[in-house]
Amino acid sequence: MRQILSICALLAATTVPLRSADRTISFAKDIQPIFQKTCWNCHGANVQLSKFSLATRDLALKGGEHGIAIVPGSAEKSRLYRMVAGLEKPSMPLGATISPADVETFRLWIEQGAVWDAGAVVTTTQSDITQDNPIRPEERSYWAFKLPVRPAVPVATRNPAARNPIDAFIFSALEKQGIPHAPRADRTTLLRRAYLDLIGLPPTPAETAEFLNDQSPDAWEKLIDHLLASPHYGERWGRHWLDLARYADSQGFEHNYDRPNAWRYRDYVVRAFNEDKPYNDFIREQIAGDELKTVTNDSLIATGFLATYAKVGFREKDNPEFRYEYLDDNIATIGRGVLGLTIQCARCHNHKFDPIRQADYYRLQSSLYGFVEVDHPLTSREVAAEWKQKNDAVNAKVAALKSDLRDLEKPYRDRILPGKYAKFPANIQEAIATPESQRTPGQALLADQVIRSVTVSNSEIDRVISLEDRVHRTQLQDAIALAEKERPAPIPMAMGVTDGDYRFVPDGPGDEPAPGKGKKHEAIEGSYLHTGPGKYQVPPSYFFIRGDVNSPGPETKPGFVNVITYGNPPAELTPPTVNTSGRRLALAEWLVSRDNPMTARVMMNRIWHHHFGRGIVASLDNFGKMGEAPTNPDLLDWLAVEFMDRGWSVKQMQRLIMTSETYQMASEFPESAKDPENKLLSRFRIQRLDAEIVRDSILAASGGLNPQVGGPPVFPVIPDEVVKSMFDGKWERKEDGPEVWRRSVYIYRNRGLPFPMLDAFDLPNQNLACGARNITTVPTQALTLMNDEFVLKQAQLFANRLEEAAPGDRSKQIDLAYRIAVARAPRPEEQRLAADFLQSHALGDFTNVLLNLNEFLYMR
Amino acid sequence: MKGFRSRRDFLFQSCGGVSGLGLAYLLNQEGLLAGDTCSTASPVASPVAAKKPQFEPRAKAMISLFMSGGVSHVDTFDPKPALRKYAGLPLEGKGDVIVRQGNPGPLMPSPFEFRKYGQSGIEVSELFPHMASKIDDLAVLRSVKGQSNDHVQAHYEFSTGMIRAGYPSMGTWITYGLGSENQNLPAFVVIYDAHGGPFGGPSNWSSGFMPAAYQGTVFRSSGVPIIDLKPPDSVAPEQQRARLDLLAKLNGMDAERFPGNTELSARIASYELAYRMQGCAPDAVDVSAESLAVQKLYGLDNPRTEPFGRQCLMARRLIERGVRFVQLFHGGLGVQNLDTWDAHENVADNHGRHAAEVDLPIAGLLTDLKTSGLIDSTLVMWHGEFGRMPISQRGLGRDHNPGAMSMWMTGAKIKGGQVIGSSDEFGYRAEEQPISIHDLHATVLHLLGMDHKKLTYRYNGRDMRLTDVYGELIPQIANT
Repeated sequence: MRQILSICALLAATTVPLRSADRTISFAKDIQPIFQKTCWNCHGANVQLSKFSLATRDLALKGGEHGIAIVPGSAEKSRLYRMVAGLEKPSMPLGATISPADVETFRLWIEQGAVWDAGAVVTTTQSDITQDNPIRPEERSYWAFKLPVRPAVPVATRNPAARNPIDAFIFSALEKQGIPHAPRADRTTLLRRAYLDLIGLPPTPAETAEFLNDQSPDAWEKLIDHLLASPHYGERWGRHWLDLARYADSQGFEHNYDRPNAWRYRDYVVRAFNEDKPYNDFIREQIAGDELKTVTNDSLIATGFLATYAKVGFREKDNPEFRYEYLDDNIATIGRGVLGLTIQCARCHNHKFDPIRQADYYRLQSSLYGFVEVDHPLTSREVAAEWKQKNDAVNAKVAALKSDLRDLEKPYRDRILPGKYAKFPANIQEAIATPESQRTPGQALLADQVIRSVTVSNSEIDRVISLEDRVHRTQLQDAIALAEKERPAPIPMAMGVTDGDYRFVPDGPGDEPAPGKGKKHEAIEGSYLHTGPGKYQVPPSYFFIRGDVNSPGPETKPGFVNVITYGNPPAELTPPTVNTSGRRLALAEWLVSRDNPMTARVMMNRIWHHHFGRGIVASLDNFGKMGEAPTNPDLLDWLAVEFMDRGWSVKQMQRLIMTSETYQMASEFPESAKDPENKLLSRFRIQRLDAEIVRDSILAASGGLNPQVGGPPVFPVIPDEVVKSMFDGKWERKEDGPEVWRRSVYIYRNRGLPFPMLDAFDLPNQNLACGARNITTVPTQALTLMNDEFVLKQAQLFANRLEEAAPGDRSKQIDLAYRIAVARAPRPEEQRLAADFLQSHALGDFTNVLLNLNEFLYMR
Repeated sequence: MKGFRSRRDFLFQSCGGVSGLGLAYLLNQEGLLAGDTCSTASPVASPVAAKKPQFEPRAKAMISLFMSGGVSHVDTFDPKPALRKYAGLPLEGKGDVIVRQGNPGPLMPSPFEFRKYGQSGIEVSELFPHMASKIDDLAVLRSVKGQSNDHVQAHYEFSTGMIRAGYPSMGTWITYGLGSENQNLPAFVVIYDAHGGPFGGPSNWSSGFMPAAYQGTVFRSSGVPIIDLKPPDSVAPEQQRARLDLLAKLNGMDAERFPGNTELSARIASYELAYRMQGCAPDAVDVSAESLAVQKLYGLDNPRTEPFGRQCLMARRLIERGVRFVQLFHGGLGVQNLDTWDAHENVADNHGRHAAEVDLPIAGLLTDLKTSGLIDSTLVMWHGEFGRMPISQRGLGRDHNPGAMSMWMTGAKIKGGQVIGSSDEFGYRAEEQPISIHDLHATVLHLLGMDHKKLTYRYNGRDMRLTDVYGELIPQIANT
């Protein structure tokens, strides 16, 4: 599935001088040293890349998965020679060089019959690529790998009154550069900013009036508390986390299967933010919610984090290498999302830029290795057990009846099959007609292909079955249907993970060795979920040489990324039951330990980014050397320590941030030349609304928004022809109306079909963890907001709302329209232009214009 | 060019006044602003503004003809007499025989006759008589190999270089590297089969982790080309123009409050672009504007060739107008074995039908490009996502085979009438000069004037490339 990495430039095809075989090659003297030096690391006793080994002559002549490599007597026909000579790609040795003299030696050796000295058995040295080089002190001295220490809060002389430490850090940095900063924004601007930022909806005119009328000194603080307590807060801030978790309701790839319970994880995230679940607990639950001392429905749902990766989901058992892609995806997501490190870069080799070893990668892989996907019942244990018992009983009953049915039908199938074979070409019929023992090898293949894949349908049996058997058959079928009626109603389930053995996961689509499908590779005994007796054992995992799943090196042990590990944290903890390993629990504890230098910094930086439009470290998901340097490292460290000291409370940190003068600065500020990119925050950065918020704001303005929180995903209208562009997958056709006018976070996330309106406004790719979304400005956005039927319909509803509120009063309608759309009264010039426009145009035209205003589409 | 310069100045230096799109539109109507509205470059700094290639390119534009489902090379461009000779015997001596479905069958000869065409005498099967008549213009590659025998993964590999979803497509990289000559049309256009999208769907033209400005825009092959390009019929053109005019005035006043904010001014300008696109895109794909002779050349007079012929003709019209990359898919959602090239059941039936749908239109496209001279600055590439097995699947069909496939390239001053590489005697694996998809991508970028090692995008702290850390130029194509 994954290519082997070739690092260096490949050897150019060199012309080998054709010299006569004037010297006799000795294997021991000439060849073995080259093998030792150049080949055996990857094609020796320990490792056999491409299933090719040069360890013994037999193995060497047998060839590998790409066929025969040595044809004694003909170097030109030997791939071994062709590849080292650069005549065929990939040139060997991969990522290294071989001298022309050695190439010539190979040529002569093969030409002379590839003679192998008797008894030359290879003992290769353990290849050093699996070595875990210790972390050098200078590697750990990089700023992000040192533990954050609370820095002293500087004194900003220009603003000695700045009581909020955040202001002290920001203002003193600005002062040092002699950069002026913007004054506080007006209250209306701040109000709209707070609403869009915290709940992702604009304030209503009533909410605006309430705030503006509140003259108390703590009106702003009260507003922030009010918004933080809103159930819509989690819909907005949970979405940021869902981007990182690359949450979706479908699996992706060709079949793009539905994930009927994925939404519970989405709701869990929304709920966790609403409840201000401490961030350390939030991480614990998502990594090891099934291993905690107190397991709750929420902690089980949270494990969905490890199951949200894009998945082929078809013929998984014939493709065991897929599993490693999923592990990689989870390692990448935890790495980028929680740690701000590109750990997945160390899958095939040590990280190129950061001191992350390949061994670190495989330790993490081992820590996660036990996980299997499972549906957790969300009922009491008794109810779940009762459900399972009843369900199993139905299964057993149905299985027995189906077996009887098959026995009854067998003679008819046997009678029908020859007729079906007769439809195949003559050579196949001939092959089938030939007794098995007498078939030629080719005939055996043909017969096998057809016999194994041709089936008889029920209707075909119907046509030939005897009256008596038909009666019996109908009775059996009725009995099956009757038994199915006893099947208990489904109980709510969460899509999540627990420990088990992935090799024995129940068959999924395509895994049945049924007609047309392949056969399973695994032929070992074991069980999917551990049910005792004794303690669960994680299946063995291996270090993969160059990341190649076909080249296992030594078995790996669980553990962490050394450069950011302080002390000696355990890689396994004792879980409350014998059914899991405690490895994920240990991983979770390591992630949220105060001795982890990354986690708090990375999360605080994300929060900062979502408030200010740019992180203190601009590369949210990469704090490594190739990331951006922090613009205010002391502030970041202060925030990280404060965050942990406040019990990892996201809401408390947000309250702290939003009550700062820094947050309340105006975005309109003419003196911006000294800080053109606004890296030091001399003013508030205006920010285009996220895709979901564009749509939600339109629904809010029209009054059409259905504010229901949570539940299964919804399917707003997508034109049929766009649905057709999805190769496979689910999209329900629903009426355009309040049922689907829910907040955009609830729209079904289809990996095969991004929702078009959101896609136009930079919806992130749903397969990769995404911290900071791209922001682009393209004509398709204008086309959507000008012409899309949904937008035009909402504009009309918006107009109806105005007409209802102020029948016939144009001036009042214009005033209200502005208050709804941008939370302020129109300026006189705007009032005049609008009135002129409405002389000859409909209110719906005007409201559509408002939904297209830059001011409407930006938080500022 | 001069015209738009002054137009831009007009638009942006008079924001405080009565300027705006509506006005610009009116002025344009009256011919007061110079410049041909549909064929010029952009008046604004756009993410897809035309960029200079890294070096002198061999082609300015590209058309990809993607035969979705997997074309059998041994039945089209790669004759294998050994299959006749050893028909009915197992495939042996070529390493593991890996099939996608069921169990391997024995070697199966092609049901199609091959014969030599042109001066070059390259053999092509009877499936493609029209394409074959162009053989002296085509460079046929017979040793291309992919990494996956899964449709979707193989599509992604062709489209993005990676078998996983989520990476930028080749069209995205090209658009990112070169921008577009015409801001009134998308830089990267995808037209998929009337039956539906290809395997893997929109991820094939996704911008992955790159900004959405570089993603492919789907054009419908009939009717209004882009979703939401025009308002519903209930909105009169005059009504829309008035709305745009008011919007421009209000946004103009607002922009004065944020001097120097390019994001806001880009958004204002994007409405002008959108408005121009409304006029230009339908015009660009209006095949009825072509003469009957041209329509016939593309097979528009025959219901069998009409759908793909229309796609091909649209591609030519788009390229002609400065669109950088047009990707046509043939084969799409519907009945997989029937509506795509996925010939598991019966290669003669399946390929017979699909070849008849595309052969004449593609030849027509090549003729047309040559006549108009566009071929000299356009790269055309024809391919599937993998080849098919030399062994039979249940007697008549062929399973997937990423080990070897055939494709061709033409235009961009590529030497025609040459065969590059070869597969083994049965066509199971690429043998002589195996060419990876990374090699192909490297070569495509090279022809368009870009070094694949230097076309990078920083993502997550790494300079990402279309070719990852691989890719070597195909010398017979890259060298003139």
